[in-house]
Amino acid sequence: MNKIAIAGCGVVTAAGLGMEALQRAVFSNASALQRRELLIGKTSQSVVAGFVADEITAQLRGADAAHADSRAFLFAAAALREAVKNAATILDSVPATRRGFVLSTTKANIEALDKLVRQQPVSAVAQRQIQPAFLAADLAAVFDCRGPVQCVSAACISGLSALQQGAAFIQRGIADVVFVAGVDLISQFVLSGFNSLKSLDPEGCRPFDKSRIGLSLGEGAAAIILVKRELLAAPAILLSGCGTSNDANHLTGPSRDGSGLALAIQRALAQARIAPDNIGYVNAHGTGTPYNDAMESLALRSVFGDRVPPFSSSKGIFGHTLGMAGVLETALCVAAQQNNLLPGTPRLRERDPVAPDSLLVEPRAVANLNYILKINCGFGGTNAALVLQRELP
Amino acid sequence: MKDLTIHAASYLGPEGFGNDETGLRAWPAPLKENLSRGELDGLHWSLLSASDPSRFLRMDLMCRIGFMATELLAVDFDALPEARRESLGVIVESFTGSLNTDIRFAQTPRPSIFAYTLPSTVIGEICIRHRLKGPVLSLIAPDTDGANALTEAAEWLRAGDAEMVLCLGIEAINVSTAIPFPCRKLSRHTAGTARRCCWDGLKICPAKNCSSPARLGTFAESCVPCRNTLAKTNRGKLRLHNTLWNP
Repeated sequence: MNKIAIAGCGVVTAAGLGMEALQRAVFSNASALQRRELLIGKTSQSVVAGFVADEITAQLRGADAAHADSRAFLFAAAALREAVKNAATILDSVPATRRGFVLSTTKANIEALDKLVRQQPVSAVAQRQIQPAFLAADLAAVFDCRGPVQCVSAACISGLSALQQGAAFIQRGIADVVFVAGVDLISQFVLSGFNSLKSLDPEGCRPFDKSRIGLSLGEGAAAIILVKRELLAAPAILLSGCGTSNDANHLTGPSRDGSGLALAIQRALAQARIAPDNIGYVNAHGTGTPYNDAMESLALRSVFGDRVPPFSSSKGIFGHTLGMAGVLETALCVAAQQNNLLPGTPRLRERDPVAPDSLLVEPRAVANLNYILKINCGFGGTNAALVLQRELP
Repeated sequence: MKDLTIHAASYLGPEGFGNDETGLRAWPAPLKENLSRGELDGLHWSLLSASDPSRFLRMDLMCRIGFMATELLAVDFDALPEARRESLGVIVESFTGSLNTDIRFAQTPRPSIFAYTLPSTVIGEICIRHRLKGPVLSLIAPDTDGANALTEAAEWLRAGDAEMVLCLGIEAINVSTAIPFPCRKLSRHTAGTARRCCWDGLKICPAKNCSSPARLGTFAESCVPCRNTLAKTNRGKLRLHNTLWNP
C-alpha cells in the first residue's frame, strides 16, 4: 500500500498570513483572538473571535480582483499557494491528471448568501461559491488539479475527513499528489447560529479551563499537500492512520462518556498499526464548551488509561475554524513535529480538575516527537482522529 | 478481491417510494410541485405510527428524506448486534447539500434550524435512530449521481474499514418554500429543471442479484447531477439558475 507523506502546508488565520506567523503564535503561546462589535441578527454585539486581519484581506483582494468578494476563495487560494511553494520541487514532476483535490468546509462562501438575503450586491462568482462543490471545482481548476476532485462537508470533522479522503486517493492509486484545502468564514450566518445556541464565550474561549463557558469562532484557510511517499527523498512526516465514528447520541452535543471519540481514536491507531503508548502528543479538539472538553478528557482516559500523553488545545490561538479546523490543526502539528515542540493551551487560566494531568498549559520542548494524534468532533455526533508519524533519518 | 453486492435499496422521490422488494409505489395523491414535508409526514405516519413523531417533525427536508429512505429499506437494523452496528458505516452524498435549509436560516435565523444547515446532520439523525457508530463520510460532489458514495463504500468494505455501508444520495431543494420567488414565477424550463434536480429516478440497479462490482449494505439514491446555483436577478430576488458546471 502506498504511504502518504506531507510535502507542504500553508495557512491564513487570525495569527497572520503563512506558517511562520502561525508558528510564532504557537511557540509564544499567544492568542490572536480579537474583540469586534458585530451585527448579529438585528442587534450589535461584542464578539471575541479569530478574525483574519483586514489588511491581509485587502492584500489578497488587491492581487485577485476577480474574486474580490469571495473571501473563501481568496483565503483558500492563498493557503494553497504557500503549500504549493513549499512542495514545488515535487509538484513539477507530477502531471496535472495525477493531482487530486479535496476541499473541506462547512459553509464555503456563505457570506454571499447573507448579502443576497439582505439585498446587497454580490458578484456572480461569489454567489456560485456559496455552494461548496463549485468552490472546490474553481480552486481545483486554478491549481490545475485534473485528477479526482471531492468536497467534504461533515461539520467540524470536515478537515480530518478531507485528509483521509486525500490519502485514500493516493492509496488507491488514482492520484500521486492531493491538494487538501480547508476554509470557513466568520459570517452573520454562522455567528447567528452559534449565538442562538448560546455556545459563544463573550470573553473568548478558554479550552480545558475550570470555568469555561463556550467557544470562539475563527476563520481563514489551511492547505496541506499530500504526496505518495516515494516522491520525497528526505525523511518525511507521514499521515499513517485515520478513523471516524458517530456517537449515535445527540445532534449538537457530544456523548457524555466519550465512547464515540474513543472509537475513532482506536480506529486511527489500528490503521497506523501502533499502540497508544507510541503517541507523544495529542492535539485536542478543545473548543472550550463545557461538554466537549469534559467528553474529550473521558475519551483520552478511555484510550490511554492513566498514561494520557501530553495534550493541548490550539483553539485559543485562532478560534474554532469549523470545517477547516482539521486541516489547520494538522498543519500546526506538522510544525510542532518538525520543531520537537509541544504546543500549549493559550487563554487557559485555571485548569479543569477533570482534565488529565498531562494537559499542557505552556509550550514545551521535547527530544523526539515521533507520533502525534489529532482529534476533532462535530455536530451530528461525528468524531475523527488522525495519526502523524515522523520518519527517522 | 471481495465479492461485493448490493444488499438492499430504497427510493423516495416525486414518482413515489419503495424498495427493491416492494417496487415503486405511487403517492396517494399526485404531487403538485416537488416532494415536500407533507408527503414525507404521511409516509412517516404509515411506517412508524407507533413511534414518537416529535424528533421527525424537527428535521429539515434533507433529513426527512434521508431518514425515510432509510426506513424504507428492507433491513432490520434493530436486529443487528452491537458489534455489527459499530462496523456499519454511513456515507451521504449530495450536490445541493443543506442549501435548502441554509436559505431558510439566512432569512430567519432560529436555533432549531441551525443544526440542519450542515449536509452531514442527516447522518447523525440516522445514526441516532439506529444506534450506528461506524465510520462516516459526508460528500458534496459536483458530479453527484450516487457513484461517489458507492465507490467510497466499496473501498471501505475492501479495506475492512466497515462490514456494511449505508449509502445515501439526497437532493432536497424545495423551491417554493426555499426561495422567496415562488416556483410558478420561474420559467417552465427552470421549474422543470429544479424538479428534475430533486429526483430523477433510481440510477443504480437495486436488485440483489445485480452484477454490479459494488456490494453495499444499502443504497437509497435519488438524483442526477444538479447544475443549479444561486443568482441574483435584476429584480433583486433570489432564484435558481440553471448553469453548466465546467471544472
